[in-house]
Amino acid sequence: MELLREISENLQIGKAKIVKSLVEQAVAEGISPESILNEGLLAGMSIVGEKFKNNEIYVPEVLVAARAMNMGSQILKPLLAAEGVKATGKVCIGTVQGDLHDIGKNLVKMMMEGKGLEVVDLGTDVSAETFVQTAIEQDCKVICCSALLTTTMSVMEDVIKAAEAAGIRDKVKIMIGGAPVSEEYCRKIGADCYTVDAASAADAAVAFCAE
Amino acid sequence: MTTRERCMNLLHYKQVDRVPAVHFGYWGELLVEWAEQGHISMEMAKGAVRDGSPVQAELDKIIGWDCTWHNCVYPKLGLNPAFKREVIETLPDGSQRVLTDKGVIEKFKPGIVSIPSEDDYLLKDRDAFEELFLPKMQYSEDRARSEDITRQYNEKLKYDAPIGLRIGSVLGDIRDITTVMGMSYLMYDEDEELLADIVDAYAEMQYKCVETALKTGLKFDFGHYWEDICFKSGPLLSPGKFDELCAKHYKKRNDLLHEYGIDIISLDCDGVIDKLIPTWIENGVNVLFPIEVGVWGDQFEPSRKLYGEKILGVGGMDKTAFRNDRAAVDREIERMARLVSLGGFIPCPDHRLMPGSKFELVQYYAEEIKKIKV
Repeated sequence: MELLREISENLQIGKAKIVKSLVEQAVAEGISPESILNEGLLAGMSIVGEKFKNNEIYVPEVLVAARAMNMGSQILKPLLAAEGVKATGKVCIGTVQGDLHDIGKNLVKMMMEGKGLEVVDLGTDVSAETFVQTAIEQDCKVICCSALLTTTMSVMEDVIKAAEAAGIRDKVKIMIGGAPVSEEYCRKIGADCYTVDAASAADAAVAFCAE
Repeated sequence: MTTRERCMNLLHYKQVDRVPAVHFGYWGELLVEWAEQGHISMEMAKGAVRDGSPVQAELDKIIGWDCTWHNCVYPKLGLNPAFKREVIETLPDGSQRVLTDKGVIEKFKPGIVSIPSEDDYLLKDRDAFEELFLPKMQYSEDRARSEDITRQYNEKLKYDAPIGLRIGSVLGDIRDITTVMGMSYLMYDEDEELLADIVDAYAEMQYKCVETALKTGLKFDFGHYWEDICFKSGPLLSPGKFDELCAKHYKKRNDLLHEYGIDIISLDCDGVIDKLIPTWIENGVNVLFPIEVGVWGDQFEPSRKLYGEKILGVGGMDKTAFRNDRAAVDREIERMARLVSLGGFIPCPDHRLMPGSKFELVQYYAEEIKKIKV
């Protein structure tokens, strides 16, 4: 549909005001909110994610695209809720205890929302217990832990231990990311997944939620 | 041969009697650890964190380092006057929202030593730029007074190390002032020229500071930029946009340095920097620093293969080896020996030494690196 394609294209180049106006137009024309979300906003964000993964675009382009998606989503949210449309999965995300640096975490959150996931953002300096408690209370399928510093990355292992202690380790996937984190470190602490970039993290979370 | 001569000879592909033991500095938490372990006094731990301080020089001697790559003279290259730092809000959990000297609102939590979280920023539009920031980006005499520059230079002469002139930051400082998010929005907001106008105004001020410092006639061994505009996956913005915003400023500033006989121009940028190297090297920057191997996986050899001998390096030693064992340090020394044999390269830990680094391994490295055959 032409209008949905326009929404997608304008989102990809970060034209937030135009996206907002096009989403309003689509709603007014009677296009279902779910279609606007999936074929307009999420379709555009998916292309942004792929391009970011392939180094065709960079952080600024992702941020402005995410801003455009948020403006469009705000219009759709009440309509989607009224229709009982559910997200494709639910994850919680935060920077680990002692780490206040959240640019990477925010980027992953944007990419995950761009894949249609509901993301519970726990913010920065999040304790292992809070990650686990949130996963239990909000039925999150994935816990995403971010760390910028070599001094805080060890806290990720505490999250895994807390999930084991709470008896949910087999019910929840634990993903880790951040500057000092690696695949090797992921294996060492027994996490489920490490990805090299935010777009790949979103793909992995979608796959986990679909299991 | 002095350390200063050794460093400059290495970067000019000339003979040296031995490799100098150069380092980047220390994280404060490491120094406290070393004090608690009894290697140094707590007083030294507190004083040695400051680059260029006599206490740091004293610690360097104990360890066996020859010098840092920080022996630089600083004109006032930032916002002048800086914003007055103030607490804007204290939240129920004790954390505070603080307006920083750069006009950014950051969140701090008591008891947490971390890179802070950027919560908001003032430079959002042209009005804010013209009213709040442009006046602070003007050149003024107090930024590079001859007597200040000379006094600093004479202080640096006390250390046997190359003397650098800090020559600013074309985009890194602007990124700090606007935050990554703000800089991104400025690139795509309706006022398309605003980000370029900010970069241009700031760069012009820094150029004049550098020019004034050079006019003192003091002999600087190198010019030194700071950018930090890359991360784990590469640059924070597209190389094309970076080139469009920054290339002309590098060229103008580096041409000026060349006029004053300075042919070593280094640039400090963390992260994976490969894609920005063309802009730097084509416009006169020739020393990569600190080449972060350990955390970010950066490497020097590919750049040398690509750009040949015109590209030089200071750094490249995986500092995480100091948290490991002697065998890990030996592997790094062997790797450094190979890089030194390429010429135009000074080994140096690839960032400040971090908590968990073992004192005896750092001492061991500082001793052994000097034995590399050249």
